[in-house]
Amino acid sequence: MGGLLARRLLTLPFVLLGAALLIFLLPRLAGVDTVRSVLRSRVAEAEPDPEAAARVTAELGLDRPWPEQFLRWLGHALQGDLGISFATRTPIAPQLGAALEVSAVLSALALLVAGIVGIPLGVWAARRRGGLADRAVTGFSVVGTAVPEFVLAPVLVLLLAIAVPLFPATGWGTPAQAVLPVLTLAAFPTALAAQLTRAETLDALGRPHVTVALAKGIGGSQLIWRHGARLALTGVTALSGMFFAGLLGGAVVVEVAFGIPGLGRLLYDAVIGQDLPMLQSGLLAVVGVAVLAGVGAELLQLALDPVARSEVGA
Amino acid sequence: MRTPKRLLAAVALVGLVAGCGAATAPTGAPVADGELRIAAQFSPRSGYAMDTDDAFVVAQLGSAEALVKAGPDGTAQPGLATAWQQDGAAWRFTLRPGVTFHDGTPLTPAAVVNALTWVAGVSAPPRAIKGIGLRAAEAGPDAVTVTTTAPDPILPLRLSSVNTAILAPAAYTGGPPSVIGSGTGPMRLVTTEGNQQATLERNDAYWGGRPQLAKVSVRYVTDPAARALALRAGDVDVAQGLPESSLLEFTGGNGYDDQTVAAPRTVSLMLNEKGAFADVRVRQAVAKAIDRTALAEQALAGSALPASELYGPAVAWGSQDPPPAPDVQGAKDLLTRAGTPQLTVRLQTYPNRPELPTLATAVQGMLREVGIDAQIQIGEYGTQEPELLAGNYDMFLLSRNYLTDVPDTGASLVSDYSCEGSYNINQYCSPEFDALLAPLGTITDPAQRQEVFKAAAAKLNADAVGVPLVHSQENAVTKGVSGYVVDPLAKSLITPELTRTS
Repeated sequence: MGGLLARRLLTLPFVLLGAALLIFLLPRLAGVDTVRSVLRSRVAEAEPDPEAAARVTAELGLDRPWPEQFLRWLGHALQGDLGISFATRTPIAPQLGAALEVSAVLSALALLVAGIVGIPLGVWAARRRGGLADRAVTGFSVVGTAVPEFVLAPVLVLLLAIAVPLFPATGWGTPAQAVLPVLTLAAFPTALAAQLTRAETLDALGRPHVTVALAKGIGGSQLIWRHGARLALTGVTALSGMFFAGLLGGAVVVEVAFGIPGLGRLLYDAVIGQDLPMLQSGLLAVVGVAVLAGVGAELLQLALDPVARSEVGA
Repeated sequence: MRTPKRLLAAVALVGLVAGCGAATAPTGAPVADGELRIAAQFSPRSGYAMDTDDAFVVAQLGSAEALVKAGPDGTAQPGLATAWQQDGAAWRFTLRPGVTFHDGTPLTPAAVVNALTWVAGVSAPPRAIKGIGLRAAEAGPDAVTVTTTAPDPILPLRLSSVNTAILAPAAYTGGPPSVIGSGTGPMRLVTTEGNQQATLERNDAYWGGRPQLAKVSVRYVTDPAARALALRAGDVDVAQGLPESSLLEFTGGNGYDDQTVAAPRTVSLMLNEKGAFADVRVRQAVAKAIDRTALAEQALAGSALPASELYGPAVAWGSQDPPPAPDVQGAKDLLTRAGTPQLTVRLQTYPNRPELPTLATAVQGMLREVGIDAQIQIGEYGTQEPELLAGNYDMFLLSRNYLTDVPDTGASLVSDYSCEGSYNINQYCSPEFDALLAPLGTITDPAQRQEVFKAAAAKLNADAVGVPLVHSQENAVTKGVSGYVVDPLAKSLITPELTRTS
């Protein structure tokens, strides 16, 4: 596993560099007038003002050739200086760090809920294949994957903040405020984890050695958890890395609906305001986390699954 | 069979709890030293920088104040300055005595000069003071002199702009000044957490009297449905800018008070006079084809007011008249006389304001009735603007605030409709109209200026320069709050009079 980790970590800088270049070029290739967008993000209905535009262009360094802009940005980023936000004119790193922390907590809690709820539900459904429990879990999975967050969020607020005022409807910072956003964000991965676990468990239970063991009367529950759930866990683990990065940057709907100052909302605002340094740094952070989470999930999967371990020679 | 019983019991419990919550009867008595929670519509986007629109947020929070306040009739009223007088290109402002900043330092001429010099020197100066060459200097122990390149008849009104608010000298340390504990307003900004929330405490030394509220917490909730839900859930006492559908939930008692006021914003159909709409008869045909009352009351479900001209009831000089009734046959006749009985055009707009695509669809249907095939194109405003200003479009649906930060529309008339205007999307150029605006360079009296604004709006209607469709409205709903007034200019929210009620 050490070799695999080394190989993955060696490729990481190249992946990040490629991503950084792409992220840097995309807004420029889209033909958006960055300075005009920045001015309009500061004053929404500002009339065009060539003199102000020229001053802001020079102030932001946008009058330099783009390769020079990129290399300067990259050089500073390598030294930990992510630059100044076009919008707030304050350093990016603290803003990005705070937003990343919020989204990481939100995403991790959502994945935790998905694991704690989804995996046992899947195993439970597999043990009662064709029964009421199985149909209920399958139904929940279908609903959980089909209902979008912008529908689920207000439904949960209506039920758990208004009809029964258990939790706040908006905000972030207290455990109570985290409940509804986490439940909203966890619905999809929970449903998927339950589906996946059910399928993997059924597949595992159908394997010859498990069938023989069951026929010999070797403990039902223990056998299912050892052979079924553990295999299912490897599949869920593999998915969790991908999910974590996706949730980290993609929880825009939940963050906007509940007023959470996370990375998704930060990136959304950066896109609207053409805050290029913030957008570049934020997306780079998401890509970096995605790669690292993928490696982490892969290592965890190897630790859990001896078959996969033997396949990679780890 | 046990599960359904439990379910029924749970449902009954839900109803019971919800019912208990609704049973509390408010007395309406003011709560001493109360705390208020607000779900604000607009969040700071530029780190509370005072040279940006975030200055409106700071002003609404009751934290920072300018030298001058704008009265509801569009006149300049005393703020941090108590009096002013003009001498050519210079205005002398006498400062209010006994004012201290939230950090305890006194309001001095040096502090005012420092603040005004900073805002005048930023790379993109705010609209209210752009291009006038504003300079400030101390004028004795209790006054400042503000000079402009040319005599400016509305300088006091310009200095009512929230962008010209005066902060304590310690706030200016390079870059945008810090607004934490540096204003003079009734509430002291204590903490800000990005664009998520802010907390404020009472300024006991406020020059305008001790504020009723002891503490205010503001959450910036940009999603309108989420603001409505937060109010329903009791998370907040005030929710700004609710959608019309949600507003209906809060009318008719239940302890909620809703206020809706006209805003100085008009949605207009811009018509390219250097393109498909060069002929005034074609423009007039478009104006006759559109049923503006139906747009406001049906397409937008009453969330806007029908417009009869550029200015609406939000300003003293605005029209209160109903719009002309649609005249389909008259429109067809005009198109026939113009030699274009059938016309195919592009109708562009942008989605940032959700009412615009709705209006575009409704307008498309109305124009079809008279033989104009309008093909709708919706895209980001920023990518369309260069083509609009270059005159490469047919029709454009635009939402525009006609007051550039101050209760005077002279600057926006020049930028939007004069021959040399920097934002003349209609491509309108009329020497008569420019001559009409010329006296605005010297008229000081607000009443006389407002007469010019009225005449300008009438001239724009006569020349069929675009079609004003609807005027926007602002609203807010409160529960257990007294003294709340929706400010159509979005400059005021937390005032010394605002209080919680039991």
